Amino acid sequence: MIRRDAIEIVCQYVKKDIIISANGFISRDLFSSFEKNTNFYMIGSMGLASSIGLGIALKKPKKRIFVFDGDGNILMNLGSLVTIGSLRPKNLVHLIFDNNIHESTGGQPTHSKEINISKIAKASNYTVFSVKTKKTLEKTLREIPNIHGPIFIHIHLSQGAKKSSRVVISPVSIKNRFMNAIN
Amino acid sequence: MNEKIQRKVFQYFNKNKIENFVGVPDSTLKYFIDEGLKSKKILIANREEEAIGIGTGMILANSSTLMFMQNAGFANSISTITSLVQLYKIPIIFLIGWRGFLKDDAPEHEKIGKIQPDLLKNLNLENKILDEKTWEKNCKWALSKIKKNIPVALIIRREFLD
Repeated sequence: MIRRDAIEIVCQYVKKDIIISANGFISRDLFSSFEKNTNFYMIGSMGLASSIGLGIALKKPKKRIFVFDGDGNILMNLGSLVTIGSLRPKNLVHLIFDNNIHESTGGQPTHSKEINISKIAKASNYTVFSVKTKKTLEKTLREIPNIHGPIFIHIHLSQGAKKSSRVVISPVSIKNRFMNAIN
Repeated sequence: MNEKIQRKVFQYFNKNKIENFVGVPDSTLKYFIDEGLKSKKILIANREEEAIGIGTGMILANSSTLMFMQNAGFANSISTITSLVQLYKIPIIFLIGWRGFLKDDAPEHEKIGKIQPDLLKNLNLENKILDEKTWEKNCKWALSKIKKNIPVALIIRREFLD
């Protein structure tokens, strides 16, 4: 399963819920496959998608928040797992699309192959799912509506990408339409 | 800035609809943070960039937020400020403790303290110094700016040595 396939599967379950997507190819894949005004495409500030998701989750406890994160992204802000785990937002679903590389910058390796990020999430009070196939991903997505967050779905991917286009909406428009849609 | 005024600055923002105070502790801002902790309005992050991320999320959810940090942590966050806060026009008030304002502050603060005014200037981040006399006027100014979606910084100088 490559990232774009996994993102398309997750989006079938997300429907109108809020998505915060990490910079780079993750936001591009989301933009190309499931564009909607409740998506916040974080095009810079690498590492912070989970923190932005936490801020929204704390203030919108009745809405479910999905964070589309990457291995490179979460490794840049690992402390975020600790903060999220301390505050335990029930409505936060944190997905890691893990291909063990910084694909957006040319495929350089991350350390996620050597260190199991799921174990760090588990130690940080998340309910953790680790999936490798489309079938188990779908099964997990069917289960999570009945489980309290924070939920961590670690999706192990194979490398390789479909070509996705750059997010062409201006950052201020991304913000304005997102705020209008969720508030 | 003395204890009494720092506590007043917190209460001023608290009364004027700042709902969240997110940041990383700084000794220059000790009494401001203490007042916030008593009111259970403070969220402590691990790093300043993380704080800015959390605060941005809160603001996107229509809940106004102030970020507090030391100038060293502010410098850590420059890329986040340009590529998130300024790029998306996120109306944040930064409250920054200025270490290295005094020439004989601890050596690790010397250089970053010296370039602090230039950092703000080069970022085009509008800012004011808070002191015992002008704090209320400048806090009011900051509130008026965020209403216009303009992020701003308020600076408290470290005027004592320990």
